[in-house]
Amino acid sequence: MYIDPTSGSLALQVLAAAALSAVAMFSRAREASKSFFRSLVSRGRRWTGSR
Amino acid sequence: MDGQPLDSSFRDPSGFVFTREGVLYRQVNRVFQDEFEAVTASGLYDELAGQRLLVPHRPVSLDLAASGEAAAVLEPERIPFISYPYEWSFGQLRDAALLTLELQERALVRGLTLRDASAYNVQFDGGQPVFIDTLSFERRKEGAPWMAYRQFCEHFLVPLALMSRVDIRLGSLLRTHLDGVPLELGARLLGGRSWRSLGLLFHVRLHAAAQRRYRDRAPGAAALRPVGAETLLGLVRGLRGAVDGLRWSPAGTEWSEYTTDNNYTAAAASSKRELVSGLLRGRGVRTVWDLGANTGEYSRAARAVAERVVAFDLDPAAVERNYRRVRAEGESGVLPLLMDLTNPSPALGWAHRERLSLEQRGPADALLALALVHHLAIGNNLPLGRIAEWFARLGRTLVIEFVPKADSQVQRMLRSRPDIFPCYTREGFEAAFRASFEIDAVHPVAGSERLIYLMTARDGDEIGAA
Repeated sequence: MYIDPTSGSLALQVLAAAALSAVAMFSRAREASKSFFRSLVSRGRRWTGSR
Repeated sequence: MDGQPLDSSFRDPSGFVFTREGVLYRQVNRVFQDEFEAVTASGLYDELAGQRLLVPHRPVSLDLAASGEAAAVLEPERIPFISYPYEWSFGQLRDAALLTLELQERALVRGLTLRDASAYNVQFDGGQPVFIDTLSFERRKEGAPWMAYRQFCEHFLVPLALMSRVDIRLGSLLRTHLDGVPLELGARLLGGRSWRSLGLLFHVRLHAAAQRRYRDRAPGAAALRPVGAETLLGLVRGLRGAVDGLRWSPAGTEWSEYTTDNNYTAAAASSKRELVSGLLRGRGVRTVWDLGANTGEYSRAARAVAERVVAFDLDPAAVERNYRRVRAEGESGVLPLLMDLTNPSPALGWAHRERLSLEQRGPADALLALALVHHLAIGNNLPLGRIAEWFARLGRTLVIEFVPKADSQVQRMLRSRPDIFPCYTREGFEAAFRASFEIDAVHPVAGSERLIYLMTARDGDEIGAA
């Protein structure tokens, strides 16, 4: 490395990493909850016999 | 000097560029040998060179090395004319930015990274941006952030944002800030505009704030946490989105409509085109500099008989239009560049040697100076003799148009100022240029009172005698 990346620039990339992880975690949680509710609805339909 | 590093190539300890008997070489130093071999083995060089994204090179004998530290010597393909970011139009700087990001993305995918992201690592081969610094790639250390992130933002994103969102003329900041426009200056000049784009908000405003916060201190443990390759890919894609979102429409500048707003009839324009190519034909001209090229109408007439034309103009819109045409039509051999001939690019950087002046990059085989001399002589009070002297240093053959005072364009210039130019006559023009040139031929431009001259520069000792 022969150029100075500067501390602020490094810190911002760590922040970006944290933000991207949070977004990924949020998306995964959203997908998990969506599929959970989808499965509840389909189970309810089976019990009531609705089509 | 033979075997000495070029003055633009001394900062990087991994290697340097030098010439030997007029041939350009790049030395790879032993300290960088492992990295160079790893990048070569990855296949990245071959892939990029094959697609003309990186200048191709071939390994040559170590006997050609410039110093004892050499591990390898390469002979890169030579770029015919070196240009600098402060001479590029908006579109050229944007394309150079996108190329740099493309290369970083491809490098990351292979476990490599760009060690630097300087705009000076890109050159234009006609309309095509091409990366020239072979030694910019290295293996990425697991968890390492992108060391060149700040440099990319300061060399590309900040100037592009300022040109797009504030004023196109702010591109000239690159001439005073050779290592990029500082983030903090960019954030201040952008003001509230940076809030309207998530990319600019993050990569410029927040980046500048982080610089301020960590100024003069090492980052804490939290800021040294590892950064994954996926995050870096996200960062690069985010930067690409930010650059992609920056647009500029070339309109509204002084010269942007010149090609359509002039006093030439179709016959005069066609006569001029034929004259230009006819006068240059048979003179063994390979390189032409078109001074005051506007959108490159006559550059293309010159290109018909020469290998390469560099089309200079001072108007950012005209240069942008010319560049877009080169890109759209896939033209090779025409390079549009921004240049104010009354204040041309000087020698810049360390010891005035890192970046060459326009004159140092010459001479060209031939110059075109069409519909230009009245702007220099009357618009900028430059004596005709001084114009001739400088042109004789820039090129050997000169095709120059004399626009008489009776011409409506000159009348327009004299409308708002007293005529203090008694020597601006055909006789005065010829006398002034005879001091530096031989006049070989004079031709009238059909449908006008204008004249086109073909001249040959006198040798240095002849100039004093003339």
